[in-house]
Amino acid sequence: MLFRKMLRDLKENKTAYAACIIVIAIGLMVFTSMSMVIEDFERAINDFYTNQNFGEGFANIIGMPLSEIKRLEKIEGIEAIQGRLIKDVRLYAPDKEENIYLRLVSVFPNEAYPINDVYLMEGKPLNDNENNLWLDVRFFDTNNINIGDLIEIIAEGKRVPFTVMGKGQSPDFAYALRTPQDFYPSPETFGIAYVPYDIMTSLFSEKNIVNEISFTLKANANYEDVENILEAKLKPYGLQSIYPREDQTSHLLLNSELDGLKSVSDSIPFLFLLISSIILYIMIKRLVEQQRGQIGTLKAFGYTNLEILFHYSSYALIIGFLGGLIGSVSGILLTSPMLDIYNEFFNLPNLVPSFSFKYLFYGIVLTMVFSLVAGYQGAKGILKLHPAQAMRPPTPPIGKNIVLEKAKLIWSSLNTQGRMAARNIARNKSRSFFTFLGIMFTFSMMAFIGSFQDLIDLMIYDQFEKIQTADLKMTFSAPVSSKEVYRLLAHEEGIKKVEPMLEAPATLKNNWHKKDLVVLGLEKNSILYNIIDSKGVKIYPPDEGIILSEPAAKALDASIGSSIILESIWLEDNNNPITVQVVDIIPQYFGMNAYMNNKQLSKIFKQQPMATSVLLSLDEDKFESIKDKYNNSPIISSMEEKQKIIDKYNNLLGSYSAIIWILGVFVIITGFAIVYNSSIISLSERKRELASLRVLGMTLNEVLEVISFEQWTISFFGIIAGIPMAYSMMKTISKSMSTDLFTIPASLEKSALIIAFVGTVISVLIAQISTSKRIKNLDLVDVLKERET
Amino acid sequence: MEILLKGKNISKDYKMGEVTVHALKNANFEIYDGEFIVVLGPSGSGKSTLLNIIGGMDKPTSGELFYENMPLHNADERSLTQYRRDAVGFVFQFYNLIPNLTAQENINLSVEIAKNPLKVEDVLKEIDLYDRKNHFPSQLSGGQQQRVAIARAIAKNPKILLCDEPTGALDLATGIQVLKLLKRFNEVHKKTVIIITHNTEISQIAHRVFYIIDGKIEKIKENPTPVSPEEVNW
Repeated sequence: MLFRKMLRDLKENKTAYAACIIVIAIGLMVFTSMSMVIEDFERAINDFYTNQNFGEGFANIIGMPLSEIKRLEKIEGIEAIQGRLIKDVRLYAPDKEENIYLRLVSVFPNEAYPINDVYLMEGKPLNDNENNLWLDVRFFDTNNINIGDLIEIIAEGKRVPFTVMGKGQSPDFAYALRTPQDFYPSPETFGIAYVPYDIMTSLFSEKNIVNEISFTLKANANYEDVENILEAKLKPYGLQSIYPREDQTSHLLLNSELDGLKSVSDSIPFLFLLISSIILYIMIKRLVEQQRGQIGTLKAFGYTNLEILFHYSSYALIIGFLGGLIGSVSGILLTSPMLDIYNEFFNLPNLVPSFSFKYLFYGIVLTMVFSLVAGYQGAKGILKLHPAQAMRPPTPPIGKNIVLEKAKLIWSSLNTQGRMAARNIARNKSRSFFTFLGIMFTFSMMAFIGSFQDLIDLMIYDQFEKIQTADLKMTFSAPVSSKEVYRLLAHEEGIKKVEPMLEAPATLKNNWHKKDLVVLGLEKNSILYNIIDSKGVKIYPPDEGIILSEPAAKALDASIGSSIILESIWLEDNNNPITVQVVDIIPQYFGMNAYMNNKQLSKIFKQQPMATSVLLSLDEDKFESIKDKYNNSPIISSMEEKQKIIDKYNNLLGSYSAIIWILGVFVIITGFAIVYNSSIISLSERKRELASLRVLGMTLNEVLEVISFEQWTISFFGIIAGIPMAYSMMKTISKSMSTDLFTIPASLEKSALIIAFVGTVISVLIAQISTSKRIKNLDLVDVLKERET
Repeated sequence: MEILLKGKNISKDYKMGEVTVHALKNANFEIYDGEFIVVLGPSGSGKSTLLNIIGGMDKPTSGELFYENMPLHNADERSLTQYRRDAVGFVFQFYNLIPNLTAQENINLSVEIAKNPLKVEDVLKEIDLYDRKNHFPSQLSGGQQQRVAIARAIAKNPKILLCDEPTGALDLATGIQVLKLLKRFNEVHKKTVIIITHNTEISQIAHRVFYIIDGKIEKIKENPTPVSPEEVNW
């Protein structure tokens, strides 16, 4: 019978409880889908890494004879080691508007258990006798290539045909980026091609060498020890970098994605569950107060405390159960489309949804625990009530003056409704506090979501409108003299501005801190690559000294004035490292660089000013002809068009925006649920008071003012408190998401604050409209006739 | 007749802020099995306090109270709950029906926890509301609601029925109907009924009348010829 009573009670306040169910369901949906995605993701990664024998250490060198690799196997701690030749080439595709690049990665078709083994998904084995290759899955699928197709690559200026034998994937390119600045893979224009070593080495002038080394470690081996030995042995071959699996680009990005997912799945569901628990707590507490008389009656019959407590806790339990069930089931349904999105970015075979009851069960248990605690906390007041006491109306709250009344000026400016509201806030401290928390949550979540969106827009805008302003960047196959670049391009019709740029791989050291990065050597008066300081002012590369990006400075623990050591494979003698002084530190969102004057940087390398790439500003109408002219030049290894990059980013952000807006709607619903529930409770508590006002002749709006004044006051403070809260959310996310490849600044955007403000106001308004309907429907006579309980 | 309830020097004090209210002072009484008792007194005289203590809803500050040799004055919450569950049925002035349960469901509510309940249908017929069993309290008149409340109390088949101003909110004709039901329960089911009221006329239907004034049982008067509710001289 009590169960029926509960169902009818729930039905009576269905909107309020439904809102609560929705908030729980949202939390649980995020929890279940994220947890399942994480599990599937982790499983796919682990399986893939294990099955394909993913390397545990990597080194890039300029060139080392293949035959030397065997000797490295003897290094203590190394389980297996292998050398590969990796070269970026262009695909000959005259009908394509954009350049398409392939990264050729050598494989040994007969090797039994190679490191970074290719997982062949479809096709035939490779052989050493003909020009044949496998393509990475994403590239293969995106470009509608078929097995048996002939493709042509441009190696050292020559077109070479290759037969596509199949599609596959190796673990080191699960997340395939052409350059770190790419931010996300674009299989339309970049892919991995796995080519038999013998075939590949014949394409290039240096024969039988490798330029990349990967190794695996013995069970008890220490990576650092192996690195130290290997470093020394590889130095003579032009060691560029040596790093553990943790720093491998593909792995790093997979992991940062996984970490991001984990931090979301650890925090968001709990926030929502916490909010829903608070709502439930308030509602149950109010219900118990409201049904005091009924509780007394039940006790008088002989119902035990436990039975009554269970009855009232079961309201929360059933809400929790329903929310948990709806949330978990929709979370499970969401897993598959979410994995599809991940499949767009990561090439992981077997990244498929696996259904498990585990999370359905976890989810429901989790919400029920939260709800039970909320319900119990709300209902435990029952225990204190003696039946005889419960039958009597509660002692009226002590009506004393509140603090605000001492501020005579403010108090006297309030009308009667305002004073009623102010006293009500002060007398219902805990409920006012919870409403305040709810508003703070709503506002800060919205501000955070909006800021995040704005920041990414801003990052891209800054990068391409203020920093990288060149229309076209051409990268040379090998460094060339800056003078030569000018001579070649400056007089070309349609080229407005030519700026050679030197991108030098370097290791910067400050005390025991060390960072591998690319130092950009810029023209003294560069306008196609601008260095913008933290105040947004353009600064120029100094004649002496180095400018560090913020992430680099942080990694090196360097500040302005620090003297840091610069090492580079381009230095003739690394035993005589160069010391440079940090003259400025600037923000950088994409990548992690240091900046120097081209002349100075070249001088360090004992060279005349040289360039590895050139930045161009072009006449619009000559753009295509210039691009075409240099496209097939053997000295140009790649071209990057600004507009194409911006388009790609915008495309990607479009899909992010949708997700962000959906989250925004969820947050508004939550805000609504909180404000609506608190109004309903206020209303039921003060039915009599409000009805009396109506009887006195006040209009509906005047009566609503009492409740709305209260809510706006709380909302005002909630919004104010939401600003630092949003900032700390931003800071946490920026900290957890920033990697070597990009940095998300922790700042709140004004526009996001305005949107959050409007959003919060809308939630409050919607809730008030619903409340006003209820006030309108109050049967005045009935309310006033009711016995006070 | 067997003694069902025995009270010795029962007092009850309430602290109201800094003031102590002596609601009941040294009450001594015996109540027999199958008796019909009316507790009479003006508002604030301590009637409800006595009823609450007898009903195990409250504990005396001092004194002793026994139900069939079981001490209630020092019983813990658990035993009192058990006592209310098994032995007592309550009828209140304002009915206290659960508003979102129907008449039948309200009765079921007490049947569900009773050891030896009566049949709900029979009880509904007895109160003559069988055809209204699916009505919610708000769809019933005051008298009908009170009848449901009585049905709810007697359906448990308790030894004692405690009624706090059961006719207080009703008009005369409806009040008589309600009293008839209570009388019937006493006579047909042979149960003890205790009514508290400030309405002196009701005392005519009782076997014995307790007069309470200012927290004291002033006198207990036997009524050798109780009359039926219709015969009361209102």
